[in-house]
Amino acid sequence: MPFHIPKIYITGTVKLLLFPLFCFVSCTEEAEIQTYYIAPEYTGPVVAWKLPPTWGENPELSGPMAGSFHVKTNSGPQGRIGVMPFREAVSTLAITNMFGMELGYEKFTEDTLPHVLTTKTVGQKKFEWIHLTEKNNPNDPKMALLAVFRQQDETWLFPFVANAALINQEMDSFISFLDSTTVRAGEKIIRAPRPISAAPTSKPSGSPTWDAPDHWVVGQASSVRIASYSVSDENGNELDFSITSFPGDVGGLQSNVNRWLTQIELPKAESLESSPYLSPYKIDEKDAYLLLAENTEKTIYGALLFGKSRSWFFKIMGDTTLAKVEKENFLNLLSSVCFHDH
Amino acid sequence: MSNQSKKKQNAYSVGARKKAFPWIVPFASVRLTLTLLSFSMILIFVATLEQVRIGIRGAQAEYFESFYGIWYYPEQFWGGSFLSMVPLPIPGGYLLGGLLIINLIAAFITRFQWSGKKMGIQIIHLGIILLLIGQMTTQAIQVESRMQINKGESSDYIERFHGVELAITDVTDANRSKVVSIPEQLLTPGNTLRVPGFPFKVRVQSFGPNCNFDFKESADQRSEITRVVNQGIGASANLSLTPMDEDFSNDAANFGYLVFQLINGSEEMGTWLAVAHPAGNDRWKFIHAKLEGMSFQPLRHQGKLWGMELRSIREYLPYSIELVKIENEFYQGTDIPHNFESHVNLNLESGQKRKALVYMNTPLRHRGKTFYQYQMNKAADYTVFQVIRNPSWLVPYIACILLSVGLLWQFSFHLIYFLRKQSKVSG
Repeated sequence: MPFHIPKIYITGTVKLLLFPLFCFVSCTEEAEIQTYYIAPEYTGPVVAWKLPPTWGENPELSGPMAGSFHVKTNSGPQGRIGVMPFREAVSTLAITNMFGMELGYEKFTEDTLPHVLTTKTVGQKKFEWIHLTEKNNPNDPKMALLAVFRQQDETWLFPFVANAALINQEMDSFISFLDSTTVRAGEKIIRAPRPISAAPTSKPSGSPTWDAPDHWVVGQASSVRIASYSVSDENGNELDFSITSFPGDVGGLQSNVNRWLTQIELPKAESLESSPYLSPYKIDEKDAYLLLAENTEKTIYGALLFGKSRSWFFKIMGDTTLAKVEKENFLNLLSSVCFHDH
Repeated sequence: MSNQSKKKQNAYSVGARKKAFPWIVPFASVRLTLTLLSFSMILIFVATLEQVRIGIRGAQAEYFESFYGIWYYPEQFWGGSFLSMVPLPIPGGYLLGGLLIINLIAAFITRFQWSGKKMGIQIIHLGIILLLIGQMTTQAIQVESRMQINKGESSDYIERFHGVELAITDVTDANRSKVVSIPEQLLTPGNTLRVPGFPFKVRVQSFGPNCNFDFKESADQRSEITRVVNQGIGASANLSLTPMDEDFSNDAANFGYLVFQLINGSEEMGTWLAVAHPAGNDRWKFIHAKLEGMSFQPLRHQGKLWGMELRSIREYLPYSIELVKIENEFYQGTDIPHNFESHVNLNLESGQKRKALVYMNTPLRHRGKTFYQYQMNKAADYTVFQVIRNPSWLVPYIACILLSVGLLWQFSFHLIYFLRKQSKVSG
């Protein structure tokens, strides 16, 4: 008589035998590309736009620009279009005067500003629209079209500077560009990514090394701003320290000294020889200049070194009380600078 | 006893089971058991030796989490100068464990007596089978991760100890970010990946689990792998790297790297370098200011801003853990810690908040994950939890209960038999 095993017993045994194999096969994770959404984590600035087909991106960003563009024409790149962020609310009057002076306008006041100011709604955004036309060149006047966008405490300026004909020609592109922008200030320094077609920037050759005090907080560096530190005290006073480098002499000693003096609202120096703020100095055995200037609220200490092919600027600026405390640290840093070339 | 019950008993006899499963009989051999146990001892011996060379994690991966391992006789041992050149294959943990399970099950079916008298032995062996299966299942499906939380902050994701992914995040929307993650298994050099929801194709140039890196004065001085990099931090910082083997030691710090190209249609957009910091990419700023951007290499395209980074494989959780307070205690007069404590709030998906205290050997368990106190830095005010997901965590407990019941049964059976015999003798 054939031997019969209960069916349940067979299946149970087979399952038991196959269990380890099943575990290995079924539990192995398969590698695949995943897409999912999360709550925002990125705390940096967001600056994005769609570029009109007739425009190109400038590879190098200057000053506070978060984006810089030109119009592609048969005679090469023309005009300057930019995205300029301000962390705080900046007055329309200040912005208008910044460009107006360059175009030959008298300083605007609250009374004269409405002559050049209107508002314009582009998509969901409302812009202050400032139209400035060069005063002294009626044949081919230069124009500055300034679009100012305000969002919470942030101010975003989109300047378009070119000759009037080009601006009029590119008006639709400018408006569609403004419509496409997404701008949001973050906790970090606002600085747009370089356009992806741009050649890489590198740290200038012959960059120095230095020793910074331990309590100085390292900030964001860039191709121009070689080093960045911030210092603050318990009262909320702040100082900003930077080391910047540019090719050439960027206007020379006088223009740079005057630029710094105006940053703390001191009068420009007519003659550097008689300037109470400037004195000769040595940085790593190289001839340089030391600037120590202050008023009751703001102070600027700086050193200017003009090399054969590059200029180096070491500057600390901010609250006067804190600057006095940090002056020795600043001078110690200068004495620690080494170019490793001798 | 009726004929029917006699037949039933015969059906479960050892002989009947051997007849029913003749193909299982060879697997039930005691010789096989002893051979496998001998190989297990050799495996443990070899892996212990190798642990010195490649660390616990390396030995585990090479010898226990594999079907076989290759061992080279140590040079410093007797005859090492000659024998060290011969590769010796060693049966791995999966092979020995798997065969032991089969051997035990086969013995269970064809060799063990299924009677009340031997019931304890059977339960003990069932417990051993469960232990083996539990261990193998754990090795196959257990996932170990870490969660680092700064004091006063909360975290809703965990990161794997091993393995990296290329994460591309669209941060344009202020309310939510879209993440596309490509696991390292797909980052094979030469691979071109079409990434859903991302406008560019990703072509992998080089990838490795570990590297050494350095800044160079000029782009030409960079190593061959990185010389092609012309975008992002790798280019702006003139970063040069040298590939290294993955370090499996206990204090390993593996910097995974990826050199990749983005392709728009057929146009090459540039080549980027991404390096993953083993403790999280937010740590780059402490290495050098120039590397801070490694956690977010921006890419702007058609009105969107994307950030790219190579990071430890990340898993987001539907809940978050907030670190309220950390405490550590040391043995008096020493720097030896005897307790780490993290006071946390578990912010549940329902919006409710649950307070918990996590300290050594007292983890927090939630939704299949166990959060153990792992590291702590009181000076920097952060804590790190080791997070284990092990769906088979109950199996060893059940196995131990079975072993205890089996032992109790067997000893009780013999004790009762002995006592009865004694009472008969004395009676």
